[in-house]
Amino acid sequence: MMWRNYLKTAVRNLMKRKLYSVINITGLAAGIACFILLALYLRNEWTYDNFHAHAAELYRIRLDYGEKDQEVTHTALTPNGLAPVMKDFPELKYISRVYPSSSTVANGDKVMNEKRFIYADPAFFNMFSFPLIAGNAATVLNGPNMIVLSETMARKYFGSTDIVGKFLKINNKKEYQVTGVAADAPANTHLKFDFVASYASLGRQANWNSANDYTYVQLASNATATALQGRLANLVKEQMGSAARSGATLAFVPESVPGIHLHSIAGNSTERGGDIRYNYILTIIAALLLLIACINFMNLATARSAERGREIGVRKALGAIRGQLFWQFIAESTLITFCAMALGVILAIALLPAFNNLAGASLKLGTGSYHIYLWLTGIFLCTTLLAGTYPALFLSGFRPVQVLKGRVMPASGGSIRKSLVVFQFAASVFFIICTLVVGNQLKYIQHKKIGLDRSQVLVLSGENFTPQMLEAFKGRLLQQPGIKQVSASYDSPVSVEGGYSIAGLEGKPADYSMNITAIPVEKDYLQTMGISLLSGASLTDADIQDVLKEDKDRVYHFFLNETAVKQLGWTPEAAVGKRMVMNGRAGTVKGVMKDFHFTSMKSKIQPIIVFPEYEWFGEVLIKTSGDNQQQVIAGIEKAWKEYLPAVPFEYHFMNDDFNSLYKSEFRTGTILSTFSIVIILVSCLGLLGLAAFTAEQRTREVGIRKVLGASAASVVALLSKDFIKLVLVALCIASPFAWYVMHQWLESFAYHASLGAGTFLLAGCIAIVIALLTVSLQSVKAALMNPVKSLRSE
Amino acid sequence: MIQLQKISRHYPVGFGKNYILKDIDLTINEGEFVSIMGPSGSGKSTLLHIMGLLEEPSEGQYLFEGERVDRMNEKKRTQLHRGSIGFVFQAYHLIDELTVYENIETPLLYKNIPASERKSRVADVLDRFNMVAKKDLFPNQLSGGQQQLVGIARAIVAEPRVILADEPTGNLHSDQAKVIMQLFKHLNEQDKITIVQVTHSDLNATYGNRIIQIRDGHIQS
Repeated sequence: MMWRNYLKTAVRNLMKRKLYSVINITGLAAGIACFILLALYLRNEWTYDNFHAHAAELYRIRLDYGEKDQEVTHTALTPNGLAPVMKDFPELKYISRVYPSSSTVANGDKVMNEKRFIYADPAFFNMFSFPLIAGNAATVLNGPNMIVLSETMARKYFGSTDIVGKFLKINNKKEYQVTGVAADAPANTHLKFDFVASYASLGRQANWNSANDYTYVQLASNATATALQGRLANLVKEQMGSAARSGATLAFVPESVPGIHLHSIAGNSTERGGDIRYNYILTIIAALLLLIACINFMNLATARSAERGREIGVRKALGAIRGQLFWQFIAESTLITFCAMALGVILAIALLPAFNNLAGASLKLGTGSYHIYLWLTGIFLCTTLLAGTYPALFLSGFRPVQVLKGRVMPASGGSIRKSLVVFQFAASVFFIICTLVVGNQLKYIQHKKIGLDRSQVLVLSGENFTPQMLEAFKGRLLQQPGIKQVSASYDSPVSVEGGYSIAGLEGKPADYSMNITAIPVEKDYLQTMGISLLSGASLTDADIQDVLKEDKDRVYHFFLNETAVKQLGWTPEAAVGKRMVMNGRAGTVKGVMKDFHFTSMKSKIQPIIVFPEYEWFGEVLIKTSGDNQQQVIAGIEKAWKEYLPAVPFEYHFMNDDFNSLYKSEFRTGTILSTFSIVIILVSCLGLLGLAAFTAEQRTREVGIRKVLGASAASVVALLSKDFIKLVLVALCIASPFAWYVMHQWLESFAYHASLGAGTFLLAGCIAIVIALLTVSLQSVKAALMNPVKSLRSE
Repeated sequence: MIQLQKISRHYPVGFGKNYILKDIDLTINEGEFVSIMGPSGSGKSTLLHIMGLLEEPSEGQYLFEGERVDRMNEKKRTQLHRGSIGFVFQAYHLIDELTVYENIETPLLYKNIPASERKSRVADVLDRFNMVAKKDLFPNQLSGGQQQLVGIARAIVAEPRVILADEPTGNLHSDQAKVIMQLFKHLNEQDKITIVQVTHSDLNATYGNRIIQIRDGHIQS
């Protein structure tokens, strides 16, 4: 009964004070909507690979290696010989290798390049809970030339999922028989696939010389990861005893599959892992947004205490006890939260596609599971309690007589309100600073000279070319206007990953060796990429002939970078002509290159060797003039069709490869700036409400001052001054925190922009300008009011 | 019914005290209609607030129906507010967000009276005050006199033993004031409700059967 009365009063109160209601509801709704979106995103991040029925027993084997006294490299790639020798381990129930290899898939005329194409051992579908729509999990991969498609791919190539027994042609060579159809892999797995072909189709011999495969295992029910690791340590001793020289690191370490996304330290993973720090930041943002919206609510509610005081007094005189008033105000906040919640959910649903775009995710607001409703109820209760309790306690505690005596209540609770406003603005300033710093760093990355020229470089796949074909293709392209240089390399010049080691160095002890990154390239690589030489000469046709000889007669030519030469204790001039052996390739140093960035700027430039080797090129690099782009690309496509009519033509720009190195930074940058804006807006809403309230409260004072001759400007200054003070305090509080956090973040880059006072000043100015604009909306109105009106109303 | 013994009320000023009320001894019997008169600032409103338990005396004892109430806790005080004391204010103090009907109903809600009885009691009072047609209006749609009628209706609906009225006609013109005063007289005579009013008006004071003059915190007569 009472509740109906409470609710009625609440609804009428809402309707009567529209500005407050709108501020409260929109602020809270924005907070709730952002909270829902961020929570969805974070949930996806935190639940990576949790859905596997045997998640706790699944491990991926990591390989750690490093020469004596040198940094240890962690990689997820293992030799494919590892899986067969583990077969007899009593600790393991299943083992599966996974070998990703983007392939050309054809069904009749339908030919496409597919990136998410993996080869896996028969146990794959037993280990991982990727449900099959058709086919038997135990047998779909147990022979050569068998393939399982995802549902989407089945529809793309066949228009149906009823396709078991049909055939697909892979890489223009072999026909694979479809043995199953799998449900699409969910967004929260690091193993996203469209095609899984049987590992046996590769026809590979088990070897220990190269590491190109992922090895996954499922523990037997009574086994532990520690036991497995012990056995792997023994294995290394047995299998690779000769390779493991004294002092060198060589180890296999099991990494838990659900932990891979956020915790793995291994490089070369199937998917770039999430950054746990960014997840923490987003968690903080989500919580702050909700908190700041709640603070608006609390502040506005207590600021209006004078207005509500009379009602509270009357109700107490009529026999209301504090508890009843408390619940009345809780009812009011419940009503507001409910409206905000409804609006927030609608907003979240409407903004989900935009957010997915922003976060590069494919999240869904599933209405099917009860979880989501549990969640929403949780948010609802939290918000109501958080926003409602303080005002309810505060307001219900009024003594009736003061208000009923007709005395104007002083706007009590002022200092708490001020602290809350300071808190809000400190958060806003903090995020403004973070956004500026992150933006600065991204600009720095984009504009820093990286020592190679990545602009206007088109990248094609080189996988299907033989060296002879490539030579002819190159000659054909160079005749075309608009194309300046053509070359090829093993992997992308901005992200070189090949691990090698050099030994047999002239003038060094016989047992000296050094780990080094290296990239096999085509003759014109250095010119195409604009890498300059400090000493030595560029490659000649004769040099290439040396490399094309029979294995035993081959002579290699190496280009070392400055860092490598320095580490070897040579000068660029002295280095030229020195003999060395790199993983069995004997040759001499042909030249020394100026340092260039070949990985993310997060790490310092390491030693690298660029060397010609015509075995396999992953990338064809075409340097264009940048004019008539469409025409040039059409020309390249025409040439491509002449050489590789069966392979679909696809291209991208090297700049995209470069940017994708910083994908998570760019994404964080956009997410950060977007939500910073929301935080600032919500804080401003609160400030707007408070300013409106102050202006209203001081109407009489303003009237008197104006009658006494105050100018409009001085009145605006009077009303805005206090708020600006609060913003300044917020700035002082937020700056050290922001400096600390951003300093840490920048330190994660080996190369970063500087963190100057300018950023903080700018952030301060932005905050003050925003606050001033918000406050002056109200104070100007008050200042321009006719004083007679305000005085008469008293 | 109301017994005040050596009641004082003061607030600190510098090192001393400023007395609003000093050593008030006053007894009001059941069924009386008392008018408290005096100039502005004489302490008459404070006296009424102390009687209504809205304010606590600094010194002295207060017995309400023979029970000491001056140091009562909030819960017991609320019980008295709910059952025995009705207030009428100069500024009416109706709740703006509630209709006439709902304003009158509020004390009954706090008293946890069942819905059917509430309905009949509010209906009775509305009927008696000739306000049935206005029951769904909001306070700001009523004239001052009508608002004060609602205020009185709200005060008596819970059937209190005493009504405390703080300048009930202060904001009204004389015709309206007359209606209100007649209503008080009627309530006092027919319903046997004890009434204590604070007033400036000699005319209004004549409706009562006893006048208490108060000046500088002391009772004069």
